[in-house]
Amino acid sequence: MSGLARHRRLTRIWASRPGFRGWFSSVNHTDLGKMFIVAALVFFAIGGILGMLIRAQLATPHSAFVGPEIYNQIFTMHGTIMMFLFAIPTFEGLAIYLLPKLLGTRDLAFPRLTAYGFWCYIFGGSMLIVSLLLGIAPNSGWFMYPPLSGAIYSPGINTDFWLIGITFVEISAISAAVEITVSILRYRAPGMSLDKMPIFAWYALVTALMILTGFPPLILGSILLELERAFGLPFFQADLGGDSLLWQHLFWLFGHPEVYIIFLPAAGVISTVLPVMCRTSLLGYGWVVAAAVGLAFLSFGLWVHHMFTTGIPNMALAFFSAASTLVAVPTAVQIFAWIGTMWRGRPDLRLPMLYILAFFATFVIGGLTGVMVAVVPFDWQVHDTAFITAHLHYVLFGGFVFPMLGGLYYWLPHFTGRTRYFFLGETAFGLVFIGFHGTFLAMHWVGLLGQRRRIDTYDADAGWTAINLASSIGSFVLLIGLALVLIDVVLHVILSARGRRNPWHAGTLEWAMITPPPAYNFASLPRVSTREPLWTDPELPNRLVRGEGYLGDPPTDRRETMIVDIASGEPREIVVFPRNTALPIVFAAITGVFFLSLLIKVYWITPLALAAMAVMAWRWTWSIGDRTDAGPQPAGQGLTLPLATERDRSPGWWGSLFLLTANATLFGSLIFGYAFLWTIAPGWPPSEWLVPSILEAVVAIGGTLAGTLAIRAASVANRKGAGCVPALAVALIGALAAAVALGLLMARIPDPTGHAYGATLLVLAGYALFHALLIALMIAFLIARVRAGYVSPIRRAELGVVRLWADYVAAVAAITIVLVNLPGWVA
Amino acid sequence: MSEVARILIGPLVWLALFTATYALHGIACSQAWYDVDALGLSLMRVVLLAAWLATIAVAGAILLALLRPPLGSRSPFVRTVSLATAATGLVAAVWTLFPVATNSICMA
Repeated sequence: MSGLARHRRLTRIWASRPGFRGWFSSVNHTDLGKMFIVAALVFFAIGGILGMLIRAQLATPHSAFVGPEIYNQIFTMHGTIMMFLFAIPTFEGLAIYLLPKLLGTRDLAFPRLTAYGFWCYIFGGSMLIVSLLLGIAPNSGWFMYPPLSGAIYSPGINTDFWLIGITFVEISAISAAVEITVSILRYRAPGMSLDKMPIFAWYALVTALMILTGFPPLILGSILLELERAFGLPFFQADLGGDSLLWQHLFWLFGHPEVYIIFLPAAGVISTVLPVMCRTSLLGYGWVVAAAVGLAFLSFGLWVHHMFTTGIPNMALAFFSAASTLVAVPTAVQIFAWIGTMWRGRPDLRLPMLYILAFFATFVIGGLTGVMVAVVPFDWQVHDTAFITAHLHYVLFGGFVFPMLGGLYYWLPHFTGRTRYFFLGETAFGLVFIGFHGTFLAMHWVGLLGQRRRIDTYDADAGWTAINLASSIGSFVLLIGLALVLIDVVLHVILSARGRRNPWHAGTLEWAMITPPPAYNFASLPRVSTREPLWTDPELPNRLVRGEGYLGDPPTDRRETMIVDIASGEPREIVVFPRNTALPIVFAAITGVFFLSLLIKVYWITPLALAAMAVMAWRWTWSIGDRTDAGPQPAGQGLTLPLATERDRSPGWWGSLFLLTANATLFGSLIFGYAFLWTIAPGWPPSEWLVPSILEAVVAIGGTLAGTLAIRAASVANRKGAGCVPALAVALIGALAAAVALGLLMARIPDPTGHAYGATLLVLAGYALFHALLIALMIAFLIARVRAGYVSPIRRAELGVVRLWADYVAAVAAITIVLVNLPGWVA
Repeated sequence: MSEVARILIGPLVWLALFTATYALHGIACSQAWYDVDALGLSLMRVVLLAAWLATIAVAGAILLALLRPPLGSRSPFVRTVSLATAATGLVAAVWTLFPVATNSICMA
């Protein structure tokens, strides 16, 4: 087959539908990555305009530009949009677009999940923007501290938009994190062992794992606060056994890792772009990987440094202050590695490099002020002042926006296949740099003079007027700079001439394809032996086009790629991807109806939406797999491999493993909340404990345990070629019995609106009940699949997935029963 | 997956033991161990110091175990990275729990 014929054939197999309709049914990572990035930039523009409104308000004392009610909405939405709708989705979009190309594969692990996450992001984000347009946007700050955000002090729908909209958007983050983790671990080019992975992949892996463990506490906090607001469950009301500090713990358990979730992808961009700009390789690759991992872990030990002024115990002050200073060390390791890389190479001051240098200047200042506020006495002085606003912008704008703008210009030729012609970018860079520092350097000063954060006005005799005016002028210079970047990019996309492949002479695999990239990425999959395959083998792109790699001659119209061993990168299986479908957008829309029903409090719709979601999930998974055994398939280069569905641990198993990791973190956070309220909150013990029930405990634990054992028995029977439906039926009965027992438990719980104890027990039991019903649904699905002929001794992957979930549900049921009954037993 | 686990185990153990020490501090305060004498110090101080030293010992043992198989990787890259992250866990144990063990008090 000629290169052109191969291109046409693969394009026919992999391309999205043409035209407008293709947007709604595409599951291709290149399309969805670009859609993610464009959407994130739109939200960035909205958030940026809100920032300008803040600066317009503060430019002069006693400003009448907006009133306090609107101002509260503006600064709340500025922070919310920048954090949840711009920064994280930009990482997701870039990772979704780049990772398969960097890793030498054709798509991410779960293409439909990519699309589902994207549409959840769009619908959830739109929900928040609509609230802004209607003047009912969230107004309690992006951190939503109760009691201010509770039903008593924020009675309208504003806060609900935040709690429900952000939770909806976070589905997108969790989906992307599962997707990215599985893709990096298993979907790589043959030969790409862990030590040969592109450095961006390491950063993306660490970031994705942080999202999986960092976001669930906030999701839990949002659920609890919404339950308090909607149904009066008093988790955060001190007079009813709750504690508003619990929210702060849950929020910052997410919030501080969030800073690194934002920084690490940008660090990945720097570690990728900087060596190319310096015409050398990254110095200390292994140390940089270790520093990124260390930074991720340490970031989970810092959250209380946002709470130094809340009156927390001395022990916490000591620990978190020490940890906050320690985190500077792995950050510095990376900075020194980058400086060393520049020292070793020959830096070329092109536009991406200018942004990286701006990053150095800005982020180091932000890091140093971070060490200052890690010291408790200093933090007490500047807490809630504009100094902190300045610090966080130096860290987030310096640590994320500058590197990402560098990355934008670096990969722009890849996105468009064009070469830069209009050199507005250099002017824009100057304006952005000067504007940023003009805005926020001044803000340090005014903060030290005592200006508090989030104030909508100030007195003329406070001594802050000139500094605020200078800061506001700086912000408008920044805005003009960013607008010029946008104009430069649009002109590039529309008018620039076609460029050549790999204009930067980079060594990584994303440049081994024609640009803009074809839907299939690689005509045949490469085998790699170094970290920079294009430097060691400049002929590689041509050989791939000629089909001299793997899977270059597709025998059918299936979308195929390879799965490799995690450590060695040796090929293990062939995976078949789903085709274009509108299922993800429809599923996301139904998910939106579920969240909307909660928002507008039309609760009769909620169970209907849940049922519709279950139907969609059933249909989604039903379309996977075959009714016949395929056996080993040709993969090219004389290699034959089994299909992934014919192994115990399919991609679905790996996806479930990491989804359960996030799920377990949420459950762990709930247990933390229970322990926190019990030991710290005022108003404990409650007036009555739940009376333990041995029968309930035995049925709930025994039912789920019997379920997991029966699924194991079904797996054994299936391997032997015997029928596995009887064992699965036992598992189903066990799960349903456990669900009944947990339902009865929920009905007996002491008044959940009277004390946080009852409220917490209700959520714990509800969580277990939900999972018992979920596993029952999964087992019923599996029975239907077995009866329809989708499972055989060879095609056994689905049994492994359900078994994994059943194990988790059994553990949840046991832990819940113990926790719920423990106080009663002790009493 | 075991290679990834090797990289993660050092700091993961630090996180777990830091959480355990935090819980121990809560128990010590709630049981008023600061009023109980032990070895010339308060029982709370002795327990927290012991927890700190135990954490350092566990983190150090993991670092040593990662030097060679079976816990240590045969891949030079994974071995280097896992030793670096385990060293991070050890340093974090020494640095972050030091003030907790030596200076922490209970709220009135």
